[in-house]
Amino acid sequence: MNFEIISPTTTDELLVAIEKCQNRHFRFGAGCTDLLMELKKNPADDLTVINLAQVVDDRLTNLTKTSKLYRLGSMFTAGRIVVNDELKTHFPVLHESAHNLASTQIRQVATVGGNLCTASPSGDIACALVALGARCEMLNTNGKSRSVAVTDFFTGPRKTVLKSNEVLYGISVPLNNKETAKIYSRFIKIGTRRSMECSVVSLACHIQTDAKGVILAAGVAIGASAPTIRLAKDACSSLIGKTFKKITRKEKEEFAATVLSYASPITDIRATAWYRKEVLFNISKSIFE
Amino acid sequence: MKKELKVIGQPIPKQDANIRASGKAIYGHDIVLPGMLYGAILRTEHPSAIIESIDVSEALKLPGVVCVITADDVDVNNIGYKRDHPILKKGEACCTRDELAAVAAETKAIARQALKLIKVKYKVRKGVYDAFEALEDSAPQINQFITGKFENKNIAEKFQYGHGNLEEEKKRSRHIISRRFTLPRMTHACMATSNITASYNNLDKKLLLYSSTQVPFLYQRDMAHALKINPSDIRVIQPVIGGGFGSKLDMHPFEPICALLSMKTGRPVQIIYSREEEFIASPIRQPMIIDLTAGVDKDGHFTFREINIIKDNGAYTSWGATTPFVIMQSFSSLYKVKACSFNAMAVYTNNVFAGSFRGYGNPQATFALERVIDLLADELGMDKAGIRLLNANEKGEITGQGLHYDTCGHKECLETVIEKSNYFNHKTSGKNDRYKRGIGLASMLHVGGGAKIYRSDGCGTTLKIDPYGYCTIITGSNEIGQGSETVLAMMAAEELGIELKKIKVINTDTDVKPWDVGVHASRTSFVAGNSLLGAIRLLKEKLNSKAAQLLNIKDADFEYADNKLISGKSGERIALDKVVREMHFSEPNELAIASFFYEPSSKFQDKEFKGNVSGTYAFAAQSIEVEVDTYTGNVQVLDIYVAQDVGKVLNPLLLGGQIEGGIMQGVGYALSEELLMHEGRILNPNFHNYKMLTASDTPEIHFYPVETHDKEGPYGAKGVGEAPLIPTAAAIANAVCNALGLEMLELPITPEKVLKALDDKKKRKK
Repeated sequence: MNFEIISPTTTDELLVAIEKCQNRHFRFGAGCTDLLMELKKNPADDLTVINLAQVVDDRLTNLTKTSKLYRLGSMFTAGRIVVNDELKTHFPVLHESAHNLASTQIRQVATVGGNLCTASPSGDIACALVALGARCEMLNTNGKSRSVAVTDFFTGPRKTVLKSNEVLYGISVPLNNKETAKIYSRFIKIGTRRSMECSVVSLACHIQTDAKGVILAAGVAIGASAPTIRLAKDACSSLIGKTFKKITRKEKEEFAATVLSYASPITDIRATAWYRKEVLFNISKSIFE
Repeated sequence: MKKELKVIGQPIPKQDANIRASGKAIYGHDIVLPGMLYGAILRTEHPSAIIESIDVSEALKLPGVVCVITADDVDVNNIGYKRDHPILKKGEACCTRDELAAVAAETKAIARQALKLIKVKYKVRKGVYDAFEALEDSAPQINQFITGKFENKNIAEKFQYGHGNLEEEKKRSRHIISRRFTLPRMTHACMATSNITASYNNLDKKLLLYSSTQVPFLYQRDMAHALKINPSDIRVIQPVIGGGFGSKLDMHPFEPICALLSMKTGRPVQIIYSREEEFIASPIRQPMIIDLTAGVDKDGHFTFREINIIKDNGAYTSWGATTPFVIMQSFSSLYKVKACSFNAMAVYTNNVFAGSFRGYGNPQATFALERVIDLLADELGMDKAGIRLLNANEKGEITGQGLHYDTCGHKECLETVIEKSNYFNHKTSGKNDRYKRGIGLASMLHVGGGAKIYRSDGCGTTLKIDPYGYCTIITGSNEIGQGSETVLAMMAAEELGIELKKIKVINTDTDVKPWDVGVHASRTSFVAGNSLLGAIRLLKEKLNSKAAQLLNIKDADFEYADNKLISGKSGERIALDKVVREMHFSEPNELAIASFFYEPSSKFQDKEFKGNVSGTYAFAAQSIEVEVDTYTGNVQVLDIYVAQDVGKVLNPLLLGGQIEGGIMQGVGYALSEELLMHEGRILNPNFHNYKMLTASDTPEIHFYPVETHDKEGPYGAKGVGEAPLIPTAAAIANAVCNALGLEMLELPITPEKVLKALDDKKKRKK
């Protein structure tokens, strides 16, 4: 493995570095937990890695809160999500997705931005962010930013809307509704072992109810079940107005069937498509149990 | 009166824990010799192909490449248990590991680059990847080096055994159960990848090898045969070994290849496997199909067992082919059984070949046997604990195969785990309908005092005490992480009354240490321990007589404590170092040194595989509780209760390590670990998809040692290393079946297999 490394220390330097690499084969290195494995598998001789780890910029590395949202810099690590009580309280799904990622050691370097930009159909934090209705903020070499919903960020396995002159700068997660009295928010990860596991199937849900238990908002996303992480929109909208605790068995199964309609899983060495569908149906039901 | 033990039985940390934990241990990977080259191996692209040509000319032109060899460049013998394995392959490739060429270069990167420049012309042919297919007449002969001893061209090895009157016992049986069990490929996944550094001195024609073999003296002999040189011209030094588990019992082609590169270049050469290469090219646990038919009489006594096993040998024959030695023991002698008929054969295929792996066939046998015992109990309407206790082995028993159980903790192990796990009152349901709980029992029998499979199962020790009162144990045995150095040092500390820090263990150099057969069959503490105790006895005779002379007393019966010899009668004392100095420097000017060779009382088995093959036998039982998620098929192992007849606990800390480590290998075997293959290629040569369990998957392990004080063992101890892994998969399978009310006939019990079994059950009901 042999590649060139550019290690900018400011965001301006970062943008210059990206500009400089426009005619080169380059990749971003954030926590490098996926990148190193990929490079080992497919070594590229002419590669430049733009190392994001040395950039000093609060907007890139920290968590901020406004009246409408939490904003995570794309270099915010999984480990910092795990220990953040505010995120744990408001978005358990995000906390759980980070907590179930790889191992304690890897979580200290693995970043939110990396999890998104890898665009793996089985990305855990990415799946939670889709369920939370988060948005990606991208910065281009002219210093201009644009944003898209995380659900629209992915265009295929390992493919995103990120242009060659852009870097993922931050991710914003909308605050829960003001009327929300209770949240049912979980990340369900299915695999063989409890750590160092890549999801065989995953389901992220973030459901908000009012004081009476009536569902105000719902986000349900599925991972490792389609070429990209998918938001099960119809399944989400079918829940609005229903009382969470009064959902009948029939409604549960209809909901699970709707979630399943978003899945088009493959058979690979980790599981068959049959297994992925069976489990996805079962765990979709389990949200209400 | 029994002497009170001061050191033996204490939880003393592993003596090499400090260097291992601090990174100061020198593994094979850390060795750098002056002028050393780096070797790399080109393996076939196709598991089955005619090799039409190998062109190395471009590789040789690459700057930094010093040597490239193929089969045409070397004059060597085949290796392997059946000598059916060419070191470098010529003319054909028979499995995905096949070594076609090797390079020695100035750097690792150049060596790897050179491999890409070697051009091989293949004529791909259809391979045989199924053992039953290989037995068909139409199948091609897979290995060209076999002698044709058996009725089918693709049979590598056969074992037949029997005792009792099978037909009569069948007639007498109230119930008979027949099942086919399928066992997977599991790999050792040692922390340290395979490695070797070879340094050939072409002036004196001597070969120095830094090798992580488990059996240095057999290795020395095998290497000499392979390279056509004198065994004594080979010196094997073992650096710190990062995991063995049986994988280093066979010598593998990369080792003589490395030696050949050094012989060709006259420079040291090192070969280190990448992790991917480790998964592809290191040995595995034998995959096999076990057909087991077993019967029980009306009272629940086992009547007979009839076993047919087909083992997928892969393309070449390793020690793994001999696992039926151990497998037949469990079928013939675990629980009392009147009759047994056992047939096993290893069949060549174009798959990767197996090797030796902790348990040596026993986890496979125990899985099949203990599953069928549960089914027999169900048929009889008898409880599963009761049927086991009724048939359990006993002290004094001589089994149908001729194993002598001079001590036997089988029943006590079973009783212990049944009680401790609250077997009869365990919870059957989880927190809701989704989760089902079950409990499973299994026990095991394994050799506990070595296994006489070679002409000698012995071990030599040379012991010396220096003029400062420090002791050096030069032992034939090896440390491969199991803690033998610590246990031997503890024995010397106990017997000689000196502190552990004054004891050194020398065990890594074949030029220095006396002969030993190697690390296998859970034998080291037993055999090397007895050997050391023998040497201590001899040395004490010398020291005692000198001490008596110095004290001017007639009595030569001394106790050794606090670095002193203390007269048993008068209580007079003299410092140990002083006695040694007086021996050395005055009459009789003798060294305080003694050598002893211990040979266990075990016997070679006869042609019918009957005979008392081990110095003693170990027993264990496990009771395991699981919770199965019927939504996902995940099996969560909740608690493992394990009782093991260890003879005597020598060091509870090290024993606990063996128990926990072994059990986790067993849990992996039960639930997640499988090297997946398709048409001879390995699909998951990485930790990402080879699902070795992690610390967070570790259940609660409750361990209860059972001490039966075997008179043959050092302080009464038996071998402990392999036993913890052996019944685990069987007990887990029994627990899963108990939880779900269905049968699992195949390992590993993956979530998908569980869900599929539940789905099939549902469909059958409809």
